[in-house]
Amino acid sequence: MERPVFQPTGTPVMDLDTPALVVDLDVMERNIETLHSRFDQSTAKVRPHVTGHQTPKIAHRQLQAANSVGGISVTTVGEAEVFGDAGITDILVASQIVTQSKIRRLCALAGSNRIAVAVDNPQNVADLSQAATAQGVTLGVLVELDVGMGRCGVAPSGEAVELARAVSRSPGLRFDGIMAIAPFPTFAGESGSSSEFPERQERDAISWQVLQQVLDTRQLIEKAGLPVSTVSVGGTHNYDIAAGMAGITEVQAGSYPLMDHLYCRLRPEFSPAAKILAAVISRPTGESAVLDAGHKATGPDRGMAVLEGVAGAQAVRFSAEHGVLDLQTGPAQNLKAGDKTWLVPYNLGLCFNQYDYVRAVRGDKLEGFWPIAGRGRFD
Amino acid sequence: MEQQYRPMPGTPVEDLETPCLILDMDALDHNMDVMADYYEGRDSKLRPHSKNHKTPALAHRQIRRGGTIGGVCSAKVSEAEVMVHGGIPSVFVTSEVAAPIKIDRLCTLAQQAEILVSCDNAENAKNLSQAAAARGVDLGVVIELETGLRRCGVQEMEQGVALARVIDALPGLNFKGIMSHQTIPEMTEREDRVTEGYRVIKNVIDLRNAIESAGIPVEIVSTGETWSYDVAGEIPGVTEVQGGSYLVMETGYSYMTEFQYSGKVLTTVISTPRPGVAIADAGQKAVSTLRAMPEVEGFPGVTVESMDPDHAILHLDDGVQLTPGDQLLLIPSQQDATVSRWDRFIGVRDGKVEVVWDIQARGCHN
Repeated sequence: MERPVFQPTGTPVMDLDTPALVVDLDVMERNIETLHSRFDQSTAKVRPHVTGHQTPKIAHRQLQAANSVGGISVTTVGEAEVFGDAGITDILVASQIVTQSKIRRLCALAGSNRIAVAVDNPQNVADLSQAATAQGVTLGVLVELDVGMGRCGVAPSGEAVELARAVSRSPGLRFDGIMAIAPFPTFAGESGSSSEFPERQERDAISWQVLQQVLDTRQLIEKAGLPVSTVSVGGTHNYDIAAGMAGITEVQAGSYPLMDHLYCRLRPEFSPAAKILAAVISRPTGESAVLDAGHKATGPDRGMAVLEGVAGAQAVRFSAEHGVLDLQTGPAQNLKAGDKTWLVPYNLGLCFNQYDYVRAVRGDKLEGFWPIAGRGRFD
Repeated sequence: MEQQYRPMPGTPVEDLETPCLILDMDALDHNMDVMADYYEGRDSKLRPHSKNHKTPALAHRQIRRGGTIGGVCSAKVSEAEVMVHGGIPSVFVTSEVAAPIKIDRLCTLAQQAEILVSCDNAENAKNLSQAAAARGVDLGVVIELETGLRRCGVQEMEQGVALARVIDALPGLNFKGIMSHQTIPEMTEREDRVTEGYRVIKNVIDLRNAIESAGIPVEIVSTGETWSYDVAGEIPGVTEVQGGSYLVMETGYSYMTEFQYSGKVLTTVISTPRPGVAIADAGQKAVSTLRAMPEVEGFPGVTVESMDPDHAILHLDDGVQLTPGDQLLLIPSQQDATVSRWDRFIGVRDGKVEVVWDIQARGCHN
């Protein structure tokens, strides 16, 4: 587990021990306001997807903001247990839960919370129904559609209608509706840090088309006589398109409070609120500096963290424990051992995955250490 | 973390909650035996790197198995704290420690165990000295030499000799010797690794000789890693070799056939949405994919096509079928970057849980 030096509240941010994962609360609150206010005139509401930040304190801030649906979405049963313990009572597990022991844990949570889960095959529906009935609870169920993500989900077609029927006939299950995670234009087939994506207008057109398939499926299911109360779609990259489409009831957005390098390029109306504070530990040559943050402190699997705020310098290489800066110009070459710099993570979730605490900071002063309580709950 | 899954010993593998990080105990023992056999009776010894497993129980096992110097390396001060608190008597922090707050913690550790630390500049040496003298402790200091990694370290011989003189004269510091890390050349032929190992480590020996010629004894020459364990170990003058990857192993080291894969991620198929595709519950939060996707063990015709943070997308060859609920073992391409995402090792032998170890130094970045 991370072993931070728990410095007192009020400590200037630049005095924090490093590497430190820091969230700027002012920026975070502005980001939350920006996204949530977009839903003022919308029939859809926001269901924060918390699997990126894994931090109950941040989830509560999201739920307190305007136009939240009052619940969250998560990816694993373990995360649902953590956020349930943190007092959040409406939780969508936006993934398939198939093993007997996990289904039992899900049902246990449903005893005192409003729990919903995604399905994409009839055998799983039967298993969920049997367990829910045996444990005397009701599980909400959303049929997951694959609208281009290439992951879980059934095709947005008759197959979805069949599955919806199966759910609605199953004791212990409540057919809530459908959900789909829309890929953002680079995600399809992306293996790593692809940085090219279409222009904004084209992206919006793609998002609209993708989400329209979800609404078409809603109609198919309703025509078959099954009321669809929930149409849940993701995420931050298409939130405003989703907000403008009647029939979508909730948007599972996750990245917007804290953002990351990739999402900031896609959505410049938000700013990065979570960054890594790292320190220079060595100046081996005139043109290089070595930082105390490497792969393990940044989470690089989808792309490298980006150096911020040192003109004429950039982070060029990371190894497991170190980052190497290339210092191209005079002022940057004044960096000395002990100096601190900021790195913006490329992918928020993979970065938070490496820490147990995020340092909450306002106006450059420490407000507290917030546990990333869902971290590591891959189960 | 406290409430995380901890299966009882004796639990069959097929009953484990997934994803989870498995340690194949037979493979683990085998890997330790290879090192113990190699270093037994040699002048050089292994100083296992704890950054790879981050687990004091495993460090003790490595030391007990033999062939080691009786201590470990750590990458960070917080990792060294976990090792010292876990009872390891000698810890070498193989990185420069610059911040006063960290130097102070290092001095606290030096009250409880032998502490060595890397250094590559005189200013840092003075800061270490001042803190150690004020706290009344001795810090062992090892000069880092740059030999191709393009990271920390002194760049030239004269710089190294001058720094040795500075350290040797400072109160609170014991000048111990020199160390150097190398890049992994990914040479599959041992013959090439021998040539490369001798080429880069020659510089380290040259610096040692230069410092000794200046009248300063060099007690420690610490270099090499898993790829060069049997090269560095044979070079006269090398006293300790910093191997770490050998314990858990990874597909990146598949050419070192004397070791076995002991660390694997157990995952469950959660969806089979289309023919030829299955989705499993381990993603990039659970397995490092920076170098390559993990390999699937024991399931011919199943490969990991891609991963997102929470899922693996599996490609199934024609005729191969998986069903939701099926379990697979993934062998990581990079072990330390995978281990550092987990809070527990689940040690398994003969298909049953033998032991569960907390990866106590996971997240110890500072």
